[in-house]
Amino acid sequence: MGVSLIVGTKKGAAIFVSDAARDAWTQRFCLKGWSVTASARDSDGRFYAAIASDVYGATIMASDDLHQWRQLDGAPRYKPGDKGNLEHNRIAGAADFSGRYKDGGRFVDQIWTLHVANGSLYAGVSEAGIFVSHDRGQTWEGVEGFNEHPSRASWVPGFGGLGAHTILSDSRNSDRMWVGVSAAGFFRTDDGGKTWHPKNEGVPADTGQCVHNVAHDPGNADVLYRQEHRGVYRSDNGGDTWRVMEDGLPVCELSDGHRCSFGFPIVLDRSSASAFVVPLDGDNFRMPHASQLAVYRTANGISWTPKTNGLPQNCYASVLRGAMAADQRVPGGVYFGTSSGSLYATRDLGESWREIASGLPRILSVEAYAT
Amino acid sequence: MTVRVYMPPVLRAVTGGKRELEAEGATLHDILVDLANKHPPLALHLFDEQGQVRRHILCIHASSAVRPCDFGLRRIESGDEITITNALAGG
Repeated sequence: MGVSLIVGTKKGAAIFVSDAARDAWTQRFCLKGWSVTASARDSDGRFYAAIASDVYGATIMASDDLHQWRQLDGAPRYKPGDKGNLEHNRIAGAADFSGRYKDGGRFVDQIWTLHVANGSLYAGVSEAGIFVSHDRGQTWEGVEGFNEHPSRASWVPGFGGLGAHTILSDSRNSDRMWVGVSAAGFFRTDDGGKTWHPKNEGVPADTGQCVHNVAHDPGNADVLYRQEHRGVYRSDNGGDTWRVMEDGLPVCELSDGHRCSFGFPIVLDRSSASAFVVPLDGDNFRMPHASQLAVYRTANGISWTPKTNGLPQNCYASVLRGAMAADQRVPGGVYFGTSSGSLYATRDLGESWREIASGLPRILSVEAYAT
Repeated sequence: MTVRVYMPPVLRAVTGGKRELEAEGATLHDILVDLANKHPPLALHLFDEQGQVRRHILCIHASSAVRPCDFGLRRIESGDEITITNALAGG
């Protein structure tokens, strides 16, 4: 059994397929011309890729073999008349030819995450919202309990817009799910999506509740690792409370003077219960500390150790929130792509890294699938 | 009025690889509506969920670039050729 990677870039998707040892990789490129912002695979083996264009909008392609892709009949879309967030529309949508911004309406301009749970396919989008399909993407409906959340009017976008970028589920409790929104925070439902409750206690929110990414094991779902704009946190109670977990991580000064460990992605290897982050030198610079590209791993859920063997010095690239994934094999493989188009892999939980591709466009998303 | 519409390469993944499609209408806006009706996967790429033509689509017609705000005003004659293109930036 090998691994297939869908590496979403600003200009298409690079598909990597490994041999059983995860040593030799083949590469091809597809969906040329589209930003590939997320991917997923359902329980029947169908792959989905979220695509977006600044001109032609966002939708989802499907493939059964990673070769032939077709656009799904349906797509997540808001209803005509849904009221939008003016700040988001100005950040996420460029002015038209006359210099006018969109106002008033709510638009799906990007699909940030795809998530399979409870036999359904979920999409987290910006302007922030979640949609669900019960028929493999042919039709979609908004999760209204979230999309019309009572606090929505107070949600503020981050500089990447107001995006629902993280969806998690509990494999032992189909009524429980989580959603992360920049910069509105982290939410949980315990009633199958009817109601959603903010879960940010212990995480400072001076500049909006800017959760960047959250990871967990769906089979041990209440232990959550969270990369926030303002540091790294852990919860042992499903997000009810959080505590700082930065022992061993490099910290830096943020633009508002707060000191913490800044970064975007966080992923979990389930078999070893190891989490991985890529610390960057703050929100001003967003590049590796001291120009050493470094991944940090926690194996005990308490402290972090750097894993740099095989990663470059003199590196000024960043790793975006969706651009790291674990393949959930044993021993765990972890993969991440950089804003400068390099793709790195480890098959020993970070003890050694190898660049398996370079020269790709800016990497937006990475997902790994045992195949 | 029946016209030929040349599709941008990025949308050919939606049109089954076809470089050109036929459409009918009296104005450029009508042409895009007809395309969306005949080829439903194109609809979301041409119109946003509020029913507006996506704002950075350009059409080239009669040797001039026409902007979305003028699509409803631009009259189409049978046999005209239209190219759908878009605002472009480098890099």
